[in-house]
Amino acid sequence: MDRFVLSKEKTPKFITEIIAKYNVFAPVENEGITLFKQIKNPSEINLEFSNSKVPPKALLFKQTETLFKFTPGVKGKIDPMDTNGGKTVVFGIRPCDAKSFAILDHVFKGDYEDPYYLTKRENTILVGLGCTHPDVNCFCTSFDDGGPVSAEYVDVLLTDIGDKYFVEVKSDKGKHLTKTMNKLLIPATEKDGKKKNEVEKKAVDIITRHTKTDGIVDKLDKIFDNPFWKNIAIKCLGCGTCTYLCPTCHCFDIQDETTMSEGARIRVWDTCMNPEYTLQASGYNPRPERMNRVRNRVYHKYNYYPKNYDIIACVGCGRCIDNCPVNIDIIDVVTEAGEVKV
Amino acid sequence: MVDERQLRDTVKNTVSRDDVKYVVGYKNGTYGFQVTPAFAFSAEDADKFIFSPLCVNNLAVYPMLEEKLPLRKGEEEDTRKIGLVVKGCDSRAIVQIIQEKGLKREDVILIGIPCTGVIDPKKINAKFPHQTKTVDVKEDGEKFVIKVNGTTHKISRDELLFEKCKHCENPNPVICDILIGKEVKTSKKENYEDIKSLEKKSLEEKWEYWEKQFEKCIRCYACRDACPMCYCKECMVDQLSPQWIRRSVNLSENTAWNLMRAFHLAGRCIGCGECERACPMDIPLTKLNKKIEKDVKEMFDYAPGIDAEEKPLLAMFKPDDSEEFIL
Amino acid sequence: MNTNPYQPWLATIDDIQEEVGGQRAIKTFKLVFQDKNIQNDFNFLPGQCTMVSLFGKGECFFAISSSPTQKGYIEVSVMKLGKVTSALHECEPGDVVGVRGPYGNSFDVEGWQGKNLVFIGGGIGQAPLRSLINYVVDNRKEYGKLDVIYGVRSSKDLSYKQEFAEMEKRKDVNVHLSIDVEEEGWKKFVGFVPAHLLRVKPSPKNSIAITCGPPIMIKFVIQNLEQLGFTEEQIFTTLEMRMKCGIGKCGRCNIGNLYVCKDGPVFSYKQLKNIQGER
Repeated sequence: MDRFVLSKEKTPKFITEIIAKYNVFAPVENEGITLFKQIKNPSEINLEFSNSKVPPKALLFKQTETLFKFTPGVKGKIDPMDTNGGKTVVFGIRPCDAKSFAILDHVFKGDYEDPYYLTKRENTILVGLGCTHPDVNCFCTSFDDGGPVSAEYVDVLLTDIGDKYFVEVKSDKGKHLTKTMNKLLIPATEKDGKKKNEVEKKAVDIITRHTKTDGIVDKLDKIFDNPFWKNIAIKCLGCGTCTYLCPTCHCFDIQDETTMSEGARIRVWDTCMNPEYTLQASGYNPRPERMNRVRNRVYHKYNYYPKNYDIIACVGCGRCIDNCPVNIDIIDVVTEAGEVKV
Repeated sequence: MVDERQLRDTVKNTVSRDDVKYVVGYKNGTYGFQVTPAFAFSAEDADKFIFSPLCVNNLAVYPMLEEKLPLRKGEEEDTRKIGLVVKGCDSRAIVQIIQEKGLKREDVILIGIPCTGVIDPKKINAKFPHQTKTVDVKEDGEKFVIKVNGTTHKISRDELLFEKCKHCENPNPVICDILIGKEVKTSKKENYEDIKSLEKKSLEEKWEYWEKQFEKCIRCYACRDACPMCYCKECMVDQLSPQWIRRSVNLSENTAWNLMRAFHLAGRCIGCGECERACPMDIPLTKLNKKIEKDVKEMFDYAPGIDAEEKPLLAMFKPDDSEEFIL
Repeated sequence: MNTNPYQPWLATIDDIQEEVGGQRAIKTFKLVFQDKNIQNDFNFLPGQCTMVSLFGKGECFFAISSSPTQKGYIEVSVMKLGKVTSALHECEPGDVVGVRGPYGNSFDVEGWQGKNLVFIGGGIGQAPLRSLINYVVDNRKEYGKLDVIYGVRSSKDLSYKQEFAEMEKRKDVNVHLSIDVEEEGWKKFVGFVPAHLLRVKPSPKNSIAITCGPPIMIKFVIQNLEQLGFTEEQIFTTLEMRMKCGIGKCGRCNIGNLYVCKDGPVFSYKQLKNIQGER
């Protein structure tokens, strides 16, 4: 890992150089809501944010993606789409959201590779921004790996250490991005490294909400039929806010949308909280109650996914807790699940 | 201030009845200023019930969320009642649903709260951000008393109240079985000032305003699911044959969704503001509903959710209506 | 080969056979890929499924009801129920649809060689079993005793009438048909499939039982199979779920941590008993 420092003065120039060669997506604030949008000028960026409302998964796994176009009807003509989005940099992504890509990779790879997600993933470089002030519901430290200032899942990590950023260039992609930047990036000193460690410790200490994820997979195995789930789910409205704002949720729907002469098969985000999610044409629904659906969502993240891919499908970003209209709190759910008597 | 002891005793008595399934109220949430719906199945559960100016949720959404599953052999339908803690606006939702025959009056037991207004979570979180521990908020005359990190703050009501509460004409429940405390006297009137200023804008300005808002929509349908009046078995947006709104998320479809939902609520929306509170993208949805509410009042001199005996406005036709036909 | 797993290949409907008429009509579609190479490379085993698209309407996951020993085409049996299946029923020979697959796991045709096989099907559930039965009959010498138990509501609901008529003539396959309610002219068994199973009384010795049909039928068939002495490892079934991608990505068809489109649709009873999840 190469370590540098980048003065805050020189940061706009750093970004301008990147914009010259890549499509850059960065946090842009608009009326109190921060979203990752494409920028043409470093002045559009707002780095005084805890996290974006909609996670950057929306950049690689787009909410609406056209799979291919066709002529509607029975004459059969398909027009394939170009899945390449061009060389992209996501600037200012938080370590938890970067971890979410590593988790989503498992789904979109495998026996059938998803070209829409994977081409974008290959062509995207992640320049992360460490969290110096985690928010109330952040709990990234409750998991085995990662943390507010972790460089584990990014290509380059910037950490604010006062008047400059501590820059860690991790991967080949990161090296490729920064290779022309030797005028801007100065090699880091030991003092800089120490400051970074201090900042990291401070950030970890700000996080006060925790849950125990050790052994949660086995514990959940034991309490599947426990009435505990009915109490959690009874206040759920079934809206889908948690799923759309979750960086690791990946459920989708495939629909054909047509006009008289043209058609496209599109993929859109879907939510397992919708009662019709598993409704079969015969009218049978294996998950008819909110209890089934809420339980399924928790198990998918903390039991099924770890069983299949050895990683918990939750990064502790806290968006679901911040935005749930009825305060269903995953930190409490997992903690209580761990404490339920078997 | 609501007497919480009286509230808890009432809940205890209600839930102990043989013909009551459970009672829905409020309890302290998991962090900061959060308050969450509480369900009491037994008398002990009632101890966690509270009522404070932070109790914003409209609990009238819960009776219609009950899933009616196919019955097993020999099993009988559970027709027991549901108890609900309702503020003024919440009770209007129940009245409107009874008008539409979604519920029967006997299906619910309403524990009424004379409401002096609730705090907008966005406002209080902006004033006191990053609160992890549960915070207590009490009322003291025209001020809210908030104890945060050991310091007591007194903030004027106007600064923190929901906009809807500032013009509330129905602070007392319009129907209820038991009232916790005395009725609140009010002289507030809805003047639709914010709607009138929007109405004055030119067509281009209005379109620009709403385009910016609907671009943000992520079609999570939190607005629909938090709304007590949205209880259709199959929502029009989920229908595929015919498909009214495409599932693609873009400005055109988002506009269609938000406008069509507002129209489906014409003459039915009781102005609780839950849609706007639930929306994660801060879209000012109440403006849409309030505009239609204003039009309905002006055209038909009708306010929804006041009288359970009345017939729903847009579902009836009287011989003396000014139009010759329903079109 | 397609590198885009969501993009179907084009196939022409070569022939349509009406199996059952009326409200819940069933038709068998014979599909031939437009590209000969794809037709030749489309290798599947009984139990596997395919996604058939009607461009403009959508896609559905169907079990391939023809056997891989039938070369040059694949067949799917479709019950008219929703948007896509109704549109498919309106199609005519010559129409072009999209096909992608084969997906899912298959029946263990290799591992079951030398065993006695009992097939228990009900209604449209016979479709995946038909692929297996035809495969086994085409490789008759590899397998032991064969019992085909198939039940429907009434004689009008019987699918694959021609094939059953021919199979009944064979001496090396035992065919047991039944209908639920008495009918004039019907001389064979009358009653539900689970009851018929007890009457046929297949021996569990060196046997494998495969069943597919309405959930309620599967439940009682498995109960009766256990009563007859079959163990959990000897009982297999094939399930269905609402599906969209068919390749284990959209997250919809899961039973616990298994996806019906990827880890199924064929499951042993032992697997199903031990997995937590709604089905």
